[in-house]
Amino acid sequence: MRLLAGVMALLCTGAAQAQETGQLVRFITCPIYRDTDFGRKSGCWLADDLASGVRYDVTQSPYKPDWGHEVLVEGRVSDESPDLCGSPVLNPVRTSILEGECPRHMLPAEGYPGRKYELPPRNIAPLSVARPVPPGPYGQRTFNFYFEFDRDFLVYQYDDYLIDQAVTWIRAAKPKKLVVTGYAATTPEEVSGRMIAESPEIARTRAEAVSITFKRLFPTIDVETHWTLDAQVTDEPDADGIPGQSQRRVEMEALF
Amino acid sequence: MKIKGRKGWVSSVLLLGALATGAAAAVAKEAGGLSPWWGAAESRTLPETLDYPNDSGTLRVLRVGGPLKTKGHPFFEPLGPNGRACVTCHQPSDAMGLSAKTAQERWDATGGKDPLFAAYDGSNCPSLPQGEKASHSLLLDRGLIRIERPWPVKRWNELEVTPDFTIEVVRDPNGCNSGPNYGPEAGKISVYRRPRPVANLKYLLAVGFAYDPKQGWALPLDPETGLPSSGNLMADNRAISLNAQMGDAGSTHLEMLRKLTPKERRQLADFQQSIFAAQQRGPRGEALDAFGATGGPATLRDSEPGQLGSIGMPVWSEFAAWEKISPEDAKKMTPEELAFRQSVARGARVFRDKMFLITDSSGINSPIGFGNPVRNSCVFCHNMSQMGNDVAPGQVDLGTTTLPFADPMPDLPLFRITCTGRPHPFYGKVFYTYDPGFALTTGRCADVGKITLQSMRGLAARAPYFSNGLAKDLRGVVDYYERRYNIGYTEQEKQDLVNLMSAL
Repeated sequence: MRLLAGVMALLCTGAAQAQETGQLVRFITCPIYRDTDFGRKSGCWLADDLASGVRYDVTQSPYKPDWGHEVLVEGRVSDESPDLCGSPVLNPVRTSILEGECPRHMLPAEGYPGRKYELPPRNIAPLSVARPVPPGPYGQRTFNFYFEFDRDFLVYQYDDYLIDQAVTWIRAAKPKKLVVTGYAATTPEEVSGRMIAESPEIARTRAEAVSITFKRLFPTIDVETHWTLDAQVTDEPDADGIPGQSQRRVEMEALF
Repeated sequence: MKIKGRKGWVSSVLLLGALATGAAAAVAKEAGGLSPWWGAAESRTLPETLDYPNDSGTLRVLRVGGPLKTKGHPFFEPLGPNGRACVTCHQPSDAMGLSAKTAQERWDATGGKDPLFAAYDGSNCPSLPQGEKASHSLLLDRGLIRIERPWPVKRWNELEVTPDFTIEVVRDPNGCNSGPNYGPEAGKISVYRRPRPVANLKYLLAVGFAYDPKQGWALPLDPETGLPSSGNLMADNRAISLNAQMGDAGSTHLEMLRKLTPKERRQLADFQQSIFAAQQRGPRGEALDAFGATGGPATLRDSEPGQLGSIGMPVWSEFAAWEKISPEDAKKMTPEELAFRQSVARGARVFRDKMFLITDSSGINSPIGFGNPVRNSCVFCHNMSQMGNDVAPGQVDLGTTTLPFADPMPDLPLFRITCTGRPHPFYGKVFYTYDPGFALTTGRCADVGKITLQSMRGLAARAPYFSNGLAKDLRGVVDYYERRYNIGYTEQEKQDLVNLMSAL
C-alpha cells in the first residue's frame, strides 16, 4: 500500500520533479492536514500551489498552518523523498497563517507514515543545563530574530533558540547597550494574484517583544528600541535562505 | 487519624461507611477527637504525616520540617475580620484544596455560619440574603469561590495594557455582574473558580526554561526577587509569585484590613513550600508505593522539580513497575488489588501514549507554532515529571469555560466577548464565555478562556474538577476530554485513566 502510494505520489507530482532542487516558491493557499500517525506531532501539512498545480509537503515549517485559515507558503524545493507525506517536500519552508478563512480539510493517512518527531536543530536546553561560554574576543555584534508574516510572536523552537544564543553570548561578552530595531515588510508584493504587505505597526510591536525579553533577561543593560518599515532582504543564515523570512525580522546590536 | 498498614485501613473503610450513612457528626472526628475540618484559630499540631480517607483510598499529607503548632501561625489564624484563615479553603483532608463535599458538610454542621461562607466570596454574591443556602449554591454544588477582577485591566507585568476586547454581560444569575456595584460597568468582573491546592508548590514554582513559549517572550521577573516566574500558581496567572499570591488572597479571601507583615509572609511562604500531598493508598488499601511503584507524596517531596518528562523520567512512570507484576508478587494481592494496580499502570500508558488530534485550543494550537490541529497525548501539556503540570507557564484553553465547548452551566454568569482588534484565533470576533480566564490578566482577546493547568495530585480528595467545577468526578474529566477532542478512548482506557488519576 505504502509503495503504491509512493509511486502515485511520484506520478502525480511530475511538475514538481521538473522543478529544480532549491528553487524558491511563494504562494497563498488553503492548507490541508493529512492525518498520519507516527506518534506525537507526526501529522503532515500539505499546500497546493494553485498556479502550478503542485501539492507540496510543507510540514517542516517552524510555524505550522491552521486548517481554518489561508497560509502564505515560502520555501525551496527539496530533494527529500515524497514518501513520508505523499507530496514533494519544501525545505526550508515557512507557512504564515493569514486572516482569510478556509474550509477545513483533512486527508486520511492513505498509507503514508508521516514524520516521526525529532527535536528540531533549533531547540533550547533546560536552564539547568550549563551553556558553553562562547570564545572571545568580544566586539560589536548583531543578532537577528525572525517572525511569521504580519505577526510579532517570538516563535518556539526558532526564536527562543536564537535568543538563547544571544543571551549566552551577552552573558560572556557583557556589552553596555542593546539597540533593538524592528522591521516590517510593508512594501506591497504580488503573491498568488493578490497584493500583500505587512502592517506598519508590526515593526514596532516586534521590536517591543524583543526589547521586553532582553530587559527581563538583562535588567541592568540599557535597551534602546527602534523600528523601521520597507524591510529589505538579507542573507543572514538563520533566515534559511528564504527572502521573505529575512525581511520579517528584528535586529539587535550589542554595543560596548 | 494517621493510618498505617491494613489495620489502619480497616478503620478508614469503616469511616467511609460512616460517611456514606451521612453521620456527619460521627465522621467528623479523628482519632484523638480531632475533626478532619481544620477551623481557623484552632490550636492544633500538624504532624509530619497525616492521612485522610476518601472514596478512592487514602490521601497523605507530608510536612517537611517536623510537626507544626498552628497556634499563632498565619496560615491557620484568621487575619481579617471575616474569621477565615488560609486553611479554611486549603484543608489537609482535601489535599490542601477544598471539595464541594466538604463545603456541604460544613454547611450542615454549622447551618452556614462557618467563615467559609463569608459573604464576600463564599456566597454567589454579597448582595444576596446570606442566611439562605441558595445564596451559596456555587460553593456548595460546584466548590466555587467568587473571584472579583478589576476591569478593564490596565497593567500586566509592569507593562501598560489596553484590552483588545469588550465584555458584555449576557446572563447574571447571581447579581454580581450587574447593577450599580458589580459588573464591567462598575469596573469589576465576578467569575467563580475552584480553590487551587496549596501543596507540592516546589513543582508549581519551578522554572524549566527562561521563555514562555505560549506568550512568546522571556518569563516575567518577580519584582521583589528579580527571579523569573513559573506562571503556574494561579488560574489566571494574576500573581506571579508566592508573595503576590498571598497578598492577593489576604486582601480578598481574608478581607484583611492591613498588609501581611514580612514575618507573616516568610512564615506563609515557608509553610506552603513544606507541604506535599498525594494519594497514598488505593480503594482497597493498596499501598501506591509498593511492588516497585513510587506513588504517594514521599516521591514528590524527594524529587527534583521542573523536569521535563519527555527527556527525563516519563510522567506517571512512578507506576511503570505495575505493568509487569511478577507472579510471586501477584500472589501477595487479592485479584481486585492486582487488577487495580494493573489498571493504574495502563492508565499511565494511556496518558502518555494515546495520541489524538488537539484542535482549536489556544495556548496549544495558537500562537505557539504547533499548528491546528496537532497530534499528541495528555503529556503534551501535562509534561512535568512527578507532577503533571506544564514546565512552561500553563495557560491553555480547553474550552471548559467557553462556548461552544463548555457544558451548559445556567448557574454561572455568561459574558459576550467582542474582539476589537484581531479576532480570537478559534472563536472569531464575537463569542461567549463563563470566565475569560487569563485574558482578565493580560487584556488580550486571544487569551480568553485560557486557564492555568490544574495540579493533578491529590485529585481523589477534592472533587469537582476543572476551574469551574465542570466535572463532578474523575470520570467526568475523562468524558469531557473525550467529548472535546473525540479521542476514541475505549471503555477500558477510560476506567484506566480514572484509576490512574485516583491514585495521584
